Amino acid sequence: MTDTPAHPTDPFDAEALNAAEGLDPVNPAYAQVLRIATALNLIPLAIGASVFDALLIRHIGGPYGLITAAAWVIAAIVIVSFPSRRVSRWGYRIGEGQLRVARGWLFRTDTIVPFVRVQHIDVGQGPIERWFGLSHLIVHTSGTHNSTVTLPGLHADLAAAMRETIRRHIQTDFA
Amino acid sequence: MSDVAAAPPATPSTDIEGEPNWQRLHPATLALAVVKLGPRSLQFLPAVAALGFTGNWLWIVPAIGAFLIFSLLAAWFQWLRFRFLVGDDEVVIESGVLSRQHRTIPFDRIQDVSIEQGLVSRALGIAKVGFETGAGGKENDASLDAIALSAAQSLRTTIRAHRSGEAVAAPVTADAFEAVPVTEDRLLFAMGPRRLLVAGLFNFSLAALAVVGAGMQFFDGLLPFDFNVFNPMDWVDIAEDYGLDQWLLAHRWIAGVGAILSLLLIGFVSGIATMVFANWDFRLTREPRALRRTRGLTTRTDVAVPVKRVQAAILVTGWLRQRFGWHELRLQSLASDGEKERDHQVVPFGTLGEIDPVLAEVAILRPDAGQSWQHSHRIVALGPIVGALCATIGGGVALYLGNNIGWFALVAAPLIALIAFWSARFHRWADLGAQVAIRRGAWKPKTTLLPHASVQSVDLKSDFILRPLGLATLVFGVPGGSSLATHEIPAIPLTAALDLRTRILAARARS
Repeated sequence: MTDTPAHPTDPFDAEALNAAEGLDPVNPAYAQVLRIATALNLIPLAIGASVFDALLIRHIGGPYGLITAAAWVIAAIVIVSFPSRRVSRWGYRIGEGQLRVARGWLFRTDTIVPFVRVQHIDVGQGPIERWFGLSHLIVHTSGTHNSTVTLPGLHADLAAAMRETIRRHIQTDFA
Repeated sequence: MSDVAAAPPATPSTDIEGEPNWQRLHPATLALAVVKLGPRSLQFLPAVAALGFTGNWLWIVPAIGAFLIFSLLAAWFQWLRFRFLVGDDEVVIESGVLSRQHRTIPFDRIQDVSIEQGLVSRALGIAKVGFETGAGGKENDASLDAIALSAAQSLRTTIRAHRSGEAVAAPVTADAFEAVPVTEDRLLFAMGPRRLLVAGLFNFSLAALAVVGAGMQFFDGLLPFDFNVFNPMDWVDIAEDYGLDQWLLAHRWIAGVGAILSLLLIGFVSGIATMVFANWDFRLTREPRALRRTRGLTTRTDVAVPVKRVQAAILVTGWLRQRFGWHELRLQSLASDGEKERDHQVVPFGTLGEIDPVLAEVAILRPDAGQSWQHSHRIVALGPIVGALCATIGGGVALYLGNNIGWFALVAAPLIALIAFWSARFHRWADLGAQVAIRRGAWKPKTTLLPHASVQSVDLKSDFILRPLGLATLVFGVPGGSSLATHEIPAIPLTAALDLRTRILAARARS
């Protein structure tokens, strides 16, 4: 991910991407959720790198401070800039008897699940998501590939409403 | 003691506690338990060895005796605590010595009843009955191991009769294969000894050699005689003993021909043997609701594939057998076949003329010879070509460091790239109206026939390489995956992919 920051006229702009494919964006607050989750993953790593630096590199007389600085700078960049970009590349569309979920840019996957093929649905909420009033929707199909399709970053009420919409279409018996 | 570990929440039933007709497993199951002790006693070897090393020789026999008695007692307790009840519309199984399991399986939920007999079971006249319920995970499927063969067959007849009765009561669907009521069992495909022999010849495999070789390596130090078939030095020693070495040196080509001939012999014999053991007396019959397959020489299996559960068909052939018109047909079903396979081999080796009637039973069409195929973009060869590039660089580095093995990489890399580029042409697909045919592989062509109605979800994937080329990859979610089936059409034009996706999603459910 070394491309330039998003710009309104940028062809890489995700707003334009979602609009061009007829998709709705997920809740922008999801960026904060991702940011906190990323921070919780990366800060321990950065601390680990600092400890490694202090204990080993200084001990063997290497360039002390280089690894520490690099670890914290990379962590800061990833925490500050990546989440909002990742969020803007999620898109969904519910309607016409099917749920459509698109994600990613470098490797973009656009999944369509017809409501009648849904086996069951989960609405989940993690502690960070609860803080921002968000939920994620998990749709289970009987396919081996794509047995679960996850759509994060939905307002809790919206997720519940989507669950009700899909539930009305679920085929009760597959046998 | 797997029953202690596996404890799914069985539905507790309280309403059938009257005076039901509980049955136990066949007493001969205990004899089977004795047979199974053989491999299990290997776990006991370290303990015996420890006793031997510490000099406590006297304790070895009592220890083995105690182990045997304890195992037999455990098996007997398990047998005593296992009971099952065949009710009017359900099977109830109670098992477990320490933690009790009570499981109720309604007949409606049993998709498939399989009967399996190993060599010992056949001698004892008993069989293992497996209930396929379509529940996720192998451990969730119940089985009766083992009951008398006649009891197993009557149990299956009972369950099938129940299911077909229910089918009559159910509203009539418009499915093609439901419209024609099939009343009696018809033989669809069978394999005689002649066919097995031909199939075995095409089944040429040197895998057996590798297994035996690995085994010899492993047991090298344990063999009573000091001779390893796979050690050339041992052969040289023998030759010297008989003065053969001089003769062989003079006639090297004879040794070469001999080696090749023996390799060929091993390959053909093992191919024929595996084919005969697996598919002896192969019979595929059409029953009212299922395709039923019986086969096997030592272990005889009897499996039913419910027609409505078939999700896709896979046609497999080989580069050489294709020339002679031989193909293999597998059906991908929600029910799994045996422990490892997720698809059912319904025609192991047959002509297309024999395969077509079987396909007709599951309402799947085979594309004819005149079918026009659309090709994937050659970019699918990119992965192997990048790999070949890496090999070239690695080889170059090795040569630079003065290691001659680098030449090997330098020669192999262009070959890999060429083969990848050539076989990329064999990724092709065709839309046959109500189903998609996906074909791949040059050496072992596999054609997946996927009805639109089996598709549960569709992924349209693109990445930084495909997008500039205007390409996309379609991946389908299909129930009951298979290692041989490909539910992916790689690198096709975006417009074609979008169009195909729309048409597939418009199809109504298959079941």
